[in-house]
Amino acid sequence: MTEFPLYLCLLVPMGAAFLQILLLGRPRAQRVVAVAATGLLAAVGCALVAAVKTGGPVILDVGGWAAPVGIRLQADMLSALMVAITGIVGLCGAIHGLAEIPASDERRGYHPLYQFLLFGVCGSFLTNDLFNLYVWFEVMLLSSFVLLALGGGKAQIEGAVKYVVLNIVASLVFLLGAGLLYATLGTLNFADIALRISEGKGSATGIRLSAVFLLLAFAVKAGVFPLYAWLPSSYHTPRHTISAVFAGLLTKVGVYALIRTFGPTFATEQGFILPILWWISLLTMVIGVFGAASQFHTRKILSFHIISQIGYMTFGLALGTAGAFAAAIFYVIHHILVKTNLFFVASVIDRIGGGEDLKKTGGLYRNAPWLAILFLIPALSLGGIPPFSGFWAKLALVKEILNVNAWFAAGIALAVGILTLFSMTKIWAEAFWKDRPEDAAPMRPVSVSHVIPMVILAVGTVAISLFPAYLFELADIAARQLLTPVAP
Amino acid sequence: MEWYLMGMVAIIAGAMVWPLLAKRHAVWAGWLSAIAPIGIFCWLLTQTKNVANEVLPTWTAEWVPQMGISLDFRLDGPGLLLSMLITGIGALILIYGGGYLKGSPQAAPFFAFVQLFMLAMLGVASADHLLVLFIFWELTSLASYLLIGLSHSELAARKAALRALLVTGTGGLALLAGILILGSVGGTYSLAELQTKGDLIRSSPMYLGIFVLVILGAFTKSAQIPFHFWLPDAMAAPTPVSAYLHSATMVKAGVFLLAKFYPILGGVPIWHDTLTVIGGVTMLLGGILALAQTDLKKLLAYSTMSALGTLVMLLGIGTDLAVKAAMVFLVVHALYKAPLFMIAGVVDKATGTRNVTLLQGLGKRMPLLGIAAALAAFSMSGLPPFVGFIGKELLYEAEIHAGHYSLLITCLGFAANAINVTVALKVGISPFRNRGELPDINPKARKPSLLIGPLILALAGALIGLFPWLLGEGLINAAVRDIVSQPVDSDLKLWHGFSLLLVISAVTVVVGVVLYIFRDRVRAMVGLVLQKIPKKSSDIFDWGLARLIEGAGMSTRFFQHGNLRLYLVVVLICLSSLITASLVSTGFAGMPQSGPVRFVPVGISLLMVMAGIAAIRSRSTVMAVLAMGGIGYGVALLFALFGAPDLALTQVLVETLTLVLFALVMRQLPPIQAYSSTRRRATDLGIALTAGVALTIALLAVRGATIPDAERISAEMATRSLPEANGKNVVNVILVDFRALDTMGEICVLAIAAIGVAGLLLGSGRRNVQAELAIATPLFRTAVSWMTPLLIFMSIVLLFRGHNEPGGGFIGGLVAGAGLVLRRLASADRPPDAGRQPFLYMAAGIITALVSTLPAVFLQRTFMEGVWIGSLWLPIVGKTKFGTPFLFDIGVYLVVAGVCLLILTRLIRGETLKEATHH
Amino acid sequence: METILILLTGFLFTCGFYLMLRRNFTRLLIGILFISQAANLVILVVPGLGPGFSPIVPDGATRPLEGHPDPLPQALILTAIVIGFGVIAFAIVLLKKAYHGLKTDDLDRLKETDS
Repeated sequence: MTEFPLYLCLLVPMGAAFLQILLLGRPRAQRVVAVAATGLLAAVGCALVAAVKTGGPVILDVGGWAAPVGIRLQADMLSALMVAITGIVGLCGAIHGLAEIPASDERRGYHPLYQFLLFGVCGSFLTNDLFNLYVWFEVMLLSSFVLLALGGGKAQIEGAVKYVVLNIVASLVFLLGAGLLYATLGTLNFADIALRISEGKGSATGIRLSAVFLLLAFAVKAGVFPLYAWLPSSYHTPRHTISAVFAGLLTKVGVYALIRTFGPTFATEQGFILPILWWISLLTMVIGVFGAASQFHTRKILSFHIISQIGYMTFGLALGTAGAFAAAIFYVIHHILVKTNLFFVASVIDRIGGGEDLKKTGGLYRNAPWLAILFLIPALSLGGIPPFSGFWAKLALVKEILNVNAWFAAGIALAVGILTLFSMTKIWAEAFWKDRPEDAAPMRPVSVSHVIPMVILAVGTVAISLFPAYLFELADIAARQLLTPVAP
Repeated sequence: MEWYLMGMVAIIAGAMVWPLLAKRHAVWAGWLSAIAPIGIFCWLLTQTKNVANEVLPTWTAEWVPQMGISLDFRLDGPGLLLSMLITGIGALILIYGGGYLKGSPQAAPFFAFVQLFMLAMLGVASADHLLVLFIFWELTSLASYLLIGLSHSELAARKAALRALLVTGTGGLALLAGILILGSVGGTYSLAELQTKGDLIRSSPMYLGIFVLVILGAFTKSAQIPFHFWLPDAMAAPTPVSAYLHSATMVKAGVFLLAKFYPILGGVPIWHDTLTVIGGVTMLLGGILALAQTDLKKLLAYSTMSALGTLVMLLGIGTDLAVKAAMVFLVVHALYKAPLFMIAGVVDKATGTRNVTLLQGLGKRMPLLGIAAALAAFSMSGLPPFVGFIGKELLYEAEIHAGHYSLLITCLGFAANAINVTVALKVGISPFRNRGELPDINPKARKPSLLIGPLILALAGALIGLFPWLLGEGLINAAVRDIVSQPVDSDLKLWHGFSLLLVISAVTVVVGVVLYIFRDRVRAMVGLVLQKIPKKSSDIFDWGLARLIEGAGMSTRFFQHGNLRLYLVVVLICLSSLITASLVSTGFAGMPQSGPVRFVPVGISLLMVMAGIAAIRSRSTVMAVLAMGGIGYGVALLFALFGAPDLALTQVLVETLTLVLFALVMRQLPPIQAYSSTRRRATDLGIALTAGVALTIALLAVRGATIPDAERISAEMATRSLPEANGKNVVNVILVDFRALDTMGEICVLAIAAIGVAGLLLGSGRRNVQAELAIATPLFRTAVSWMTPLLIFMSIVLLFRGHNEPGGGFIGGLVAGAGLVLRRLASADRPPDAGRQPFLYMAAGIITALVSTLPAVFLQRTFMEGVWIGSLWLPIVGKTKFGTPFLFDIGVYLVVAGVCLLILTRLIRGETLKEATHH
Repeated sequence: METILILLTGFLFTCGFYLMLRRNFTRLLIGILFISQAANLVILVVPGLGPGFSPIVPDGATRPLEGHPDPLPQALILTAIVIGFGVIAFAIVLLKKAYHGLKTDDLDRLKETDS
């Protein structure tokens, strides 16, 4: 029964979604379920990490059909870590949602959709099957479409149109890639794909073509240059809870898929794919941070930062070494905690600072010093100021870059860091230091459920900052397990 | 060393505690917070002998083994010296700050950040591991940013803070890169070990890179030309901060770093030249700029810059004597500059101005302060018997014996020292001289806490001058020893006898006094010269930053233009180029394998091509939708013709449903308009053609070498379908058993879509709209009353036989959904509102699917494994086996039925409601 | 036969891309539908078409007849069709909502939320 936590990771959100549908129209019960289920998911995710740490990857051939005939769910350290962090972010989002999501959204099915979103994300992290990954992507995407449009504001709908169309196209490309891969190799299981490629089965053309289809699809989902356009047009429009969870999780699913696919699975294609990824990642870092530097709206700044940071993660993949994978994995975990937290802070800034336009905010340093601390922790971390977690992530990555003597790339990575810091100081100087302007929107009350998620995530960030060794160890295990796939 | 570290812990604890106290009782907070640094200072005093005897206190602990980082601390000579400055002056600053900021809202953050800074500086001084040192290094920049911004309401302060952060932060990143390269060249991050590997580093090809990066870090921190401009701006910070960070300690960190790196990187011409030149220029320029100032703090800031230049220059000269002079001057400068800053703060507080031309007569009003000021000023001027005199003598000695260009260096040093005398007189003497009317004094400025710091430091300057052994020859010698890596033995003397040095010293003072006497004229002249300089480096910095942000804005507008179609174009271009690149790099595997051509499918294909052309050319919405439907049904026919009956059935049903949706929605959309120009259309056609052709070639290429059927995983599925999964219809068995997890996700997608559609269509909550449904005619009702049971029955048959024949839960569910919708339409006069019913269907479906996974779990088998209970003969359907996969299929059925019901009723209701409101 | 059908899908893709680049909501949607139909067809065609009978085990046999078409792509397509329907249904309603909310069906006018 070692697989117990593994399938619980799927059953919990799905069961919760079922309950939430059943309870539609009873918001109070739904809220209880939301928090309880996400809390349970976080606990199960952590249990899974512990199980993988002690016993190695947990494998489950669903339905008893041994892979590659059946679908294999597999929790190696990477998957387990991602699921655990999904649970934590999910829990924080659920708590934040208690205070923010209005009854009208709850009536429109916010609660079941939220669980379905987590369901899709967890499924994506756990499956070891290409087509099954497509299905989970769709579960996740469609729920994200709906959550994004929930509320139906003008900007929301407009952002949603772009988000939906570009992601549908990416999904179709993914589908094509999976189909072509099956035609070429006759299998869909990741480990089996790697095995068959290494045995020399399938035509080189077919393998490479399916690889580039998948690359394109995942690159859109991850928000890589020049395919990120959907992200800044939509992430600042929905409810803060929803943007925060999206910012934390969704693009990272794309990054995860890239790592999973082009790390071990298409190892032979690395010679072709990784150089492309190399340059694209650098461009992503730079163009993303330029976006952030030019914006004057909290959530837009943060959205562009997501892109820039994605560049770092994919650059870890582009380096192609085990150490770089570990660095990328560390980066992903750190980023999820920090970015989600910053969106939560943006939510409170919106409530008590005077809005999201930085020109119209201010006075928070004096009015809400506690918020200043809660902002500084993730913001400094994002900017890579030591000893915060972002510093460790960048340090690990830059060390790997220097190991291959890529001076130019190292320079870019560091220079982008200072620009990141610059745009964080922009929020700090405008929203916190500056006096509250006359035309600031009136303050709205902040409740405990706004604050708890920020505290949880900040504590997590501080823990990683002060004791990075533990996460580094997990990331190392993850990278090693990733590169030695369990044979089907 | 444990005491030192515990002191650091106490300081960081204090950083959290004392701010709370400081809100009400800032003075108390000042005194209490000084305890920890004083404790460390006392401990350091006990260690001087050990350090002098090369018994260095060390401490180490594991931290991040993966990055090769351990918490190594090691207090060598320079470290001890710097630590004493940090704690000694720090304690006085805390006391002073408590008095200075009493009652100000800045008090609490002051105590938090200054102690954070103190911690960081102690770390810099004692860390042996370069990355640990770097961490503390960056923390000092951060603390400085937060402290400069204490007066955060003012734009100038915010701007100054940002400048300081960006300059020192960029330098910090360069330093990090330098450290990382150094670590990989030297094979260790330990400073102590690296200091023994100097030759290895100096002969490495990476030397130049490391040197430049480290120097950037040090120069930005220590405000060397051309990075100096942040320092005068930083005077926007409250005076205690300026006194501590921007004169006594933080800016010294750069010099300290150079000293630490001297054994590793020093002793090479480029080191010598760079440091000497930059240091010398900074020294002179700082002095000249100081002459143009009238603000007390700005005067001191520029003279600090000049002092920093001196220190860097001395480290560049690099003789034992020069290093010794540097170490002594480090202490000397701190001993006179910190009190002068504090005095400037008190003066500011007492009179409300810092303008030297307006200040006078304070000596009478505040005699003790005047004495402290005079002592510090004399020390700064280098008059005997003050410690400043010792420093200056050493300075000249080092400059004269500098080797190359010693004459030039000495002249530069002379000029700087003379200006120093002028500045000292302006700051320390001029405001206190009595020239008539006595000024009014703010009584708040007469506090012991404000006085004690300047007095102690100024007296210390005088005392050490008289008794140089107080400074401890051991201390300076140990510092010099650890920098030049060989034992040195010389003691400090106040009196050198009559020599050239004494003459130069005397002339320096005379010139300085002359400059002081003609200060107004000098100021005007220098100001005139400075005006001639077209661009100051701060302007260049601002200009660069503005251009960068402008460029960033341009790039953002270029890439994030907001036009969805162009985003799509980018995707298509990426697709085409990726396909082309992969085809070019791998070549074509072979001609596409193709089965025999059959006529019917070719005919259907031709019809589909016509439909496609119609869709493109048509201006009519209806036509376009019909063409789309034609494609869909065509695909369904192809499915049917090539042995995929399940697909064909599903496709027909889904296509119909899509058409219905389109039809319902389309009525509200405007007719298609030709928005695009002809040229636009041609370009789009070109792009679409390129992508389409690339894609087609790619598909043909893949088709050229597909894997043989026998090697596909489906071969095994076909073999095991009936014996092991009890189903004849392999496709259905795959869906509900082999790959049931896909189906699980799929029904969730449907449920999500339904909830989403329903949510979007949910109106503002108005109910009971009395709209007549046009279709609910009696005839329709009669028909429906027959149709619905039939449809439901059919759907159940489809569900049951699905495992063996075409059909299954999904198809059955669609049919059942259609039946349910019809019944809704017929059963009410008003627009149908399905209420909770569809949600219940969906929930029931999901729970059924979930439950179907459980028996296997309880039977200790694999998750979702099929559990079969037996078989039953049913009419029409035939013999059917029952088991959890079948239960799962029922779940699918229910969800699909619920989804259809929900989407359609909501859409129809929404439509009719809209019409009702229109009428 | 496969070659002909691949050419057909290529044509459908081209039409779909072109329609997607139009400025109307309606045409955009129809374009997406074209592409998704074509993609489904690709998954069936590229692995190879069967002779015309379905992968169903005949009575008395233990496995489908020799030369049966590959059942797995069929299952994948079925899943894809259903998922595609869910997505399209939402997209249709979303664009309708967009038209009502933004009072335009011109995609070039949707430029409010970017940078």
